[in-house]
Amino acid sequence: MMPTSQLTNSDAVAIEIGGMVITLRSPDIEFRELLENRYAGFTKSSSDLQFEFDIDLLDNDSFHRAEALRADEDVHVKLQGSQWLMQRGDFRAEWEPKAGRGRIRQSRNPYAIDSVLRIVHTLILAKQGGFLVHAASAIRGGRAFLFAGVSGAGKTTISRLAPPDATLLTDEISYVRREGDEYVACGTPFAGELAKLGENVSAPLHTLFLLEQGPENRIERVTQPEAIRLLLRNVLFFAEDAELVNLVFRSACEFVERVPVHRLTFVPDERVWEMIG
Amino acid sequence: MIMSAVDSTFFTLNEVATVIWQAADGRTPLSDIVASKICSEFEVDPEQAGRDVEQFVSELSQHGVLLVSEQPITNSASPPEAA
Repeated sequence: MMPTSQLTNSDAVAIEIGGMVITLRSPDIEFRELLENRYAGFTKSSSDLQFEFDIDLLDNDSFHRAEALRADEDVHVKLQGSQWLMQRGDFRAEWEPKAGRGRIRQSRNPYAIDSVLRIVHTLILAKQGGFLVHAASAIRGGRAFLFAGVSGAGKTTISRLAPPDATLLTDEISYVRREGDEYVACGTPFAGELAKLGENVSAPLHTLFLLEQGPENRIERVTQPEAIRLLLRNVLFFAEDAELVNLVFRSACEFVERVPVHRLTFVPDERVWEMIG
Repeated sequence: MIMSAVDSTFFTLNEVATVIWQAADGRTPLSDIVASKICSEFEVDPEQAGRDVEQFVSELSQHGVLLVSEQPITNSASPPEAA
């Protein structure tokens, strides 16, 4: 195998999510093709890189032997010195934010790199007042709407029912970035049951809807304390790091001070979108 | 929230589902979990609770998050990470 330090730009796939470009380098052409297909619409010129990772691929058995990790090992993310260490049963990664570089050793599956990307984005966003959230999101009329809720509440359903004039950002993991006193929702390639990538676009965030399916379409305002509690239930954060956990908590509080949060009870048909946008 | 270590799928759980998840230790029968944890803590009909719990467990097992077994699991792996 070619040492990753000798890799050139042609060995790279650059993935832009939320305006952040992370370049992944691998000498394995099949894996690069997998990345280009999986993140289609989110790839761009690698000359724009902000962070980069070299990827070492191993087959499953070799990976577990080499890394002494069980296949069902939980995810762990912690800061060691100036370097973030991230691992799960199918990957182990190090990332030095100041140098902008990292290395991923992983078994040959697309879920490992998906997880590393999500973790890295949560770490970056935590310091910027943003977060990833288990929610669908869409743009309509130039404004973005988030749809969060427990599994089964209707994230996929409301995404599937979206009218032609709505642009789906994701049906699974939404990207919330802070810009001054406002929040922006960005598309992500992290798809859920709909198995459809979001569009790589963004818009100012207008409302967070907390979904519930019920016998009629109804919108009710949610108090700030309840909104914070329900938002935090859906925020993705993996790092065992008190400082960043505090920042994410503060970000959630500031978010609900600035963005209206409503409970959206809906009958699962297209009429629900008459109330949105 | 929990994440599948198999395909990175996320599940945001409500209060009842969280109780089931925390009680699923590989040894306690599902019927005991329904009786001792669900029906005692939430105002719910036992038969309806049993059906809902079976559906929930079935969905998680399809994603490899929970393993459903007729026998106690003696060497059970820890459940996937709470995110």
